Amino acid sequence: MNSLIIAQMAVSGALMGLVYALIAYGFQLTFATSKSINFGQGELVMLSAFFSLTLLNLGAPYWLMIPGGLLFGVVMGLVVERACVRLTLEQKSEGWILLTIIFGLLGFSAAENIWGRDDRPFPSPISSDALHILGINVTPVEISVAIGVFAVMGVIELFKRKTLLGKAFEAVSADRDAAELMGISATHTIMLSYGLSGMVAAMAGILISPITTVGPTMASALILKAFSVAVVAGLDSGFGVVVIGILIGVLESLTSYYLGSGWRETPGLLLLILALAIRPNGVFGKVSIRKV
Amino acid sequence: MKKTLLAALLFAAAPSFAADVIKIALTGPFSGGSAPMGTSMRDGAKLAISEINAAGGISVAGKKKKIEIVERDDEGKNERGALIGQELASMADLSGVIGSVNTGVVLAGDKHLQEKGITKIITPAAGSASMTQWSKAGAKDVSIFRFAAHDGIQSAMVVEEAINQKFTKVAVVHDATNYGVSGRDDLLEQIKKQGNKLEVVTTEKFNIGDKDMTSQLLSAKSKGAQAILIWGIGPELAAISNGMAKLEMKIPLIGGWTLSMSNYIDNAGKNSNGTMMPQTFIEEPITPKIKSFIEGYHKTYNVTRIPSPVSAAQGYDAVYIFAAAIKQAQSDDTHKIKEALEDLHDPVKGVIATWKHPFSKWDPTNEQTHEAFHREDTVMGKIVDGHVTFANEADRQRLIKNASK
Repeated sequence: MNSLIIAQMAVSGALMGLVYALIAYGFQLTFATSKSINFGQGELVMLSAFFSLTLLNLGAPYWLMIPGGLLFGVVMGLVVERACVRLTLEQKSEGWILLTIIFGLLGFSAAENIWGRDDRPFPSPISSDALHILGINVTPVEISVAIGVFAVMGVIELFKRKTLLGKAFEAVSADRDAAELMGISATHTIMLSYGLSGMVAAMAGILISPITTVGPTMASALILKAFSVAVVAGLDSGFGVVVIGILIGVLESLTSYYLGSGWRETPGLLLLILALAIRPNGVFGKVSIRKV
Repeated sequence: MKKTLLAALLFAAAPSFAADVIKIALTGPFSGGSAPMGTSMRDGAKLAISEINAAGGISVAGKKKKIEIVERDDEGKNERGALIGQELASMADLSGVIGSVNTGVVLAGDKHLQEKGITKIITPAAGSASMTQWSKAGAKDVSIFRFAAHDGIQSAMVVEEAINQKFTKVAVVHDATNYGVSGRDDLLEQIKKQGNKLEVVTTEKFNIGDKDMTSQLLSAKSKGAQAILIWGIGPELAAISNGMAKLEMKIPLIGGWTLSMSNYIDNAGKNSNGTMMPQTFIEEPITPKIKSFIEGYHKTYNVTRIPSPVSAAQGYDAVYIFAAAIKQAQSDDTHKIKEALEDLHDPVKGVIATWKHPFSKWDPTNEQTHEAFHREDTVMGKIVDGHVTFANEADRQRLIKNASK
């Protein structure tokens, strides 16, 4: 009985952890190319979820809603890049921090005004009745989250490794100046990374909505966890965030079970402090050597 | 010359205009997780106000005055509640306030009203602390009244229900807000009061916005809880019900009246079937008066189901009680209205009940003097296919009989 409970807690925690990881992956994509991240990523998750819900309410079939929602995410990612990031990067300033936060606030207010402040259910064709797998209860919706997370990350990682455009992406990540000397446009690559990051946010929104319901604050708790995951894992490794995401998710639910539900947030914060103290570049991060 | 004439006209017009209306503030969360309660309360109150105004208003000292509404959205946030409390307390011509859903908002805002002696009827906020804060402080005079089945009554009914169903082991689950924590304390106290027949196997907490309740529920499950007694609001309650379905916990969920909120019923879907909670009003047309209220609400606001029937009915009745006090005081002065509320002579025919002397003079040792609801005004409700209905047929028959008396 006891080991079954631990297994059940671990599975439920790992599933939440995968969602943290997917959002953290969105940070990682843009950080790799431009050393900047979108602090309004949570709002992108929320806006994409609302947009997808609107598509469904307008009568779009489920299979059409997913590409529609993803496309919306890409467009939003590009808007963030153009409006908040490009100019400040050209001026070598850190203004993108403030601008992306402001963009997030704008998105939040817009969502409140367009869609209202209530939480709404997100219909899903996938059943939420429990399945038994080796004595553990999981719902098909939760399984779809796991599959979706791995699918979108797998596709992007394959794209980076196997296509010419992806190789340009990797080149800019490795050394921006050298890549530019080889004729790769860093500006276009950064645009690409923001587009992909927006798509990842949209995917996260579509995947978690059937579980979390859709509302302006749906991602505000998730985004903090995703930050912890990104910092602890380091912003260099795509699969590092998955490992740390799952770890934090599992630790959270086990702590909540054994120490009481009030202690739920502790492991994430402890790991964050430990990582900052011992490995500021993250567990999977590369130690950067700066030559002056 | 023209200017002075204009000024004179304005001066003459302004006070007479102000005296022609009675200003009442309606406050509550009209957005966010508690919005179904806030908007239903507001819309129920507005329905009553428009009926009163359509009949020409309330006659005060030989003159018919209409009610004017001051509407404020506190978003269910304590800090907004404090700001609104300060703002309303500074309005010189305000006759009174009706509203508040969240106990935290009440605790943050009402002290400003009490300071100025502005009369307020709290509805539908049920947390015990809203009224006990005044008896604990030993306030000599209080201008705050409550028109809702407070958590003391509700927790007694929840514990009673669990004992009646022959349970011996229960889990107490609550949210981390003022409402949830004070609900937990009420439940634990009631269990002791009713003879310790229930063993609390675990007490679990969750935060607003939490979606994964697996650890709390597994803890309840593994310790053998036969029922979950719960205090929280809609969206998180739905997460609990959905989590229970996932873990196949087929044990009843019994808790505060918030389990009747539309955002609980909608987000939990079929998993909400069988959930039980105390109610002061059930959306079933069992008497002609209730029928016309429900139909009026549906037609005016173009809905087929009231988001929170309890809040709507309480908002509606609270306005009629307030109007009765104005009429008796023959004044729109908030202090005189307070005195009239403490000693209403004529019964007020409401949609929940006919209210006979609902409040009495404030007694610093007994906050019940400013509480309108008692055990017999409250029934157990049960969710069946997305609608709240009577859990016990006897209650329905009792209410029909009372109405025909």
